[in-house]
Amino acid sequence: MCQCCAEKKDIYLPQLATVADISQMNVTEKYLRLAMDDGQFDFLPGQFVEISVAGIGEAPITISSSPTLGDSFELVVRKIGRVSGAIHNLKRGDKVGIRGPLGKGVYPVEEAKGKNLVFICGGIGMVPQRSFINYVLDNRGDYGDVAILQGTKSYDLRLFTSEIDAWSKRGDVQMLETLDEGDPRWKGNVGVVTKLVAKIETDLKSAMILVCGPPIMYKFVLMALAEHDVPHGNIFLNLERKMKCGVGKCGHCQINHAYVCMSGPVFRYSDLASLPEAI
Amino acid sequence: MTVKKIAKSDFTSFVDALIRTEKTIGVQAKGDRFDFAPLESAKDLRLDYDVTLQPPKKYFLPPSEVLLTFEVGGPYQSQLDGQKFILLGVHPYDMVAINQMDELFQQDNCDVHYVTRRQNATIIACDVAKPSDHVFASSMGTAVVKKGYDILLTDIGDSFVAEAATPKGEQLLAKAKGVKADAQALKKREDVWARNKKSLNKHELKCDPAYLPKLLAKAYKHPVWEEKAKTCFSCGSCNQVCPTCYCFNVQDDVNWDLKTGQRVREWDGCLLDGFTKVAPAHEFRKARADRFRHRLYRKGAYVPQKIGGQIACVGCGRCVGACLPDIANPVSIYNRLIDDLGIG
Amino acid sequence: MAKPKIAIFDFACCEGCQLQIVNLEEEILSLLGGADVVEWREAMSEKSDEYDIAIIEGSITRMEDEERLKVIRGKAKVLIALGACAVIGGINKLKNNFDDLEEVKKCVYGKAAGKPHLHTGPTKAVGEVVQVDFSVPGCPIDGKEFTYIVRSLLMGKTPEIPEYPVCVECKANGNPCLWQYDQVCLGPIIRAGCGARCPSNGFRCFGCRGYVDKPNVDAAKDVINRFGLNIDDLKTKMVLFGSRQEPTIYE
Repeated sequence: MCQCCAEKKDIYLPQLATVADISQMNVTEKYLRLAMDDGQFDFLPGQFVEISVAGIGEAPITISSSPTLGDSFELVVRKIGRVSGAIHNLKRGDKVGIRGPLGKGVYPVEEAKGKNLVFICGGIGMVPQRSFINYVLDNRGDYGDVAILQGTKSYDLRLFTSEIDAWSKRGDVQMLETLDEGDPRWKGNVGVVTKLVAKIETDLKSAMILVCGPPIMYKFVLMALAEHDVPHGNIFLNLERKMKCGVGKCGHCQINHAYVCMSGPVFRYSDLASLPEAI
Repeated sequence: MTVKKIAKSDFTSFVDALIRTEKTIGVQAKGDRFDFAPLESAKDLRLDYDVTLQPPKKYFLPPSEVLLTFEVGGPYQSQLDGQKFILLGVHPYDMVAINQMDELFQQDNCDVHYVTRRQNATIIACDVAKPSDHVFASSMGTAVVKKGYDILLTDIGDSFVAEAATPKGEQLLAKAKGVKADAQALKKREDVWARNKKSLNKHELKCDPAYLPKLLAKAYKHPVWEEKAKTCFSCGSCNQVCPTCYCFNVQDDVNWDLKTGQRVREWDGCLLDGFTKVAPAHEFRKARADRFRHRLYRKGAYVPQKIGGQIACVGCGRCVGACLPDIANPVSIYNRLIDDLGIG
Repeated sequence: MAKPKIAIFDFACCEGCQLQIVNLEEEILSLLGGADVVEWREAMSEKSDEYDIAIIEGSITRMEDEERLKVIRGKAKVLIALGACAVIGGINKLKNNFDDLEEVKKCVYGKAAGKPHLHTGPTKAVGEVVQVDFSVPGCPIDGKEFTYIVRSLLMGKTPEIPEYPVCVECKANGNPCLWQYDQVCLGPIIRAGCGARCPSNGFRCFGCRGYVDKPNVDAAKDVINRFGLNIDDLKTKMVLFGSRQEPTIYE
């Protein structure tokens, strides 16, 4: 008998967490900060959790905060389905179930040390990237140049605006932001995020590139990076799928032979050659 | 371990004794077909069956099961099925499938719901007495099986040869009236194995199954996927009857108090529309042909990567019989690829 | 929080789906624990003009019914179509296959055909007249599915109705395919959720729950050819519930 069965350890059993903070970020996104009731929660940037609202169901959400935040962790949830809809109705002090942290494919926290980093984010792709961004900024001396590219569909959908403002004001981060659609309230770049690639000041060939955005974005970002001959081993893509069970069993997140919940959600681009369903 | 020869009349008494002591599930007639169902009497047991409508996986991974119960705001509770049972009459190809599922459910993250049921089971396997219309276990190397069961039965005419393979099986077999199997009985058993290694082959795979991952490595863009999927209903029948399909969905249901409820796991299928849908606008394996291809790749390439190269199609032939448009037969697809792409 | 008010209304139908609700017996009491039923002609005498959830049984065949339905829609926060007649038009849509409805009426009602309450037009599903928020398919509805849907709504969650065909539940029940027993079963193209009740009891699927979102018409044609049938053989099996329903394999 294996150990887990001797202890009746159940991979599907959520542990309770309490909503420590919750607020509306824009029309579709809700921010929440959670604290595990048993206090234990260690994770790496890129990992996700399965969050349960009792009676409604469970959904995979990538952690948005850096492990350096301390005892609690943050999620950002777009209202698209049953569970995310119920999350939007939570109040401070409510209980949710958490399984995780899950995912073995995480951001290259160690490998990236001493290297220059470029974060390319499309829309809510900023949410998971922010975990590693803040980790890097909290350990700023360990990493080289940092460039952050953020493309958002429209002005009202911008996320983390005060954090982005703070990053732009730091002398040690190149913050580039663009909107797909122009807006009278917006004085910055207009156009898709790939247009910003040419403006990156750091040497792309030697940098680690970290990408997260809507599925359609990856193809165009990779085309733009190919123009700069970025080695595929230096590109990391955050691929999210329907990670229903989160523990490599249910089959919903499988792309070819890989289970995103096990091998991902962060993949090295050079490892995706055998996964045509990835991009 | 003990190998007994049990006269058929004594075997009947043995089975009736099992039924009296423990929940016993055995193969029985269902209309003009066969299926596993709880046994009430040994006379209902049909070890001369060709194939069951459903594989025995439902006793380890039920079509629907409660994983957890909960109360809004309170902790979740695991629900484990503690009932012990005997599963009687598992064919070798199905035993191979169970062995594969054992590995898959225990590796990386062990699934305590599956494993608990599996540990509660005593499996009495039995060699195939009559080939079914679509079996191709001989091609898949699953016509005989050497592990996983507690007892293996082989029909040698007027009696069964019964071999215990585990202490649990040994204990059970001790209750059966019989004699130590003599050389003649063992020879007859060898003959059955030799026969089945050849005769369970209504569809013949043109390559060693071990070659399938290599074959599929060059077949991703082959036209066969589009051609076959053109008449695929996406009904998931092939998934539902497969002994090695184990994808599932999980949903919450609440009781009328709207406070307590249960989290339920149900079979799912990679062929079904919406299987990979994360949001109305994002469905990843949306095309029928891509889903159709995925099943054949799972059996022949993806799952084998997880279980040391074992091919996850065991040749039971159930999907062949269950597919209304007759496009599911793995052998005809793999053979077509061999014809077009060659071996090597 | 105040209990949501539920009202149940019937239009052109046999009221068999309401009967399924009545038959829930003890579960109705549980339902009443979570909601107030304020109007339900089949089970109570009270009437009310105030309700949150309107449950509509039956299809729409008269102008005055269209108007009545629109008024109900205007008052209800949530509108549920109950049963095949409401969801897809059901058996009532059979008459839409005929060009001359007057002749149909004479054939069915004889001398009484001229009575004013029989002044009806082509049948419409509820969704063809007003916006439907949720559907409970089936002829009759499945009581378990109905209670699941109601509980989900009371919880504030969108109920999940299968997108897949009846074959999924039929195979999970351990049935052989009825096509192998010479029955023209509609299971492969009809939405599941009934637990494959008919095929599990030896009867072909009649299609009462309506088509899946993407029925494979090519596959259906291929199968009838392979079984030596023609398109009319299939049409006669589909006509009961599949008349003038989109998508359709009628051409």
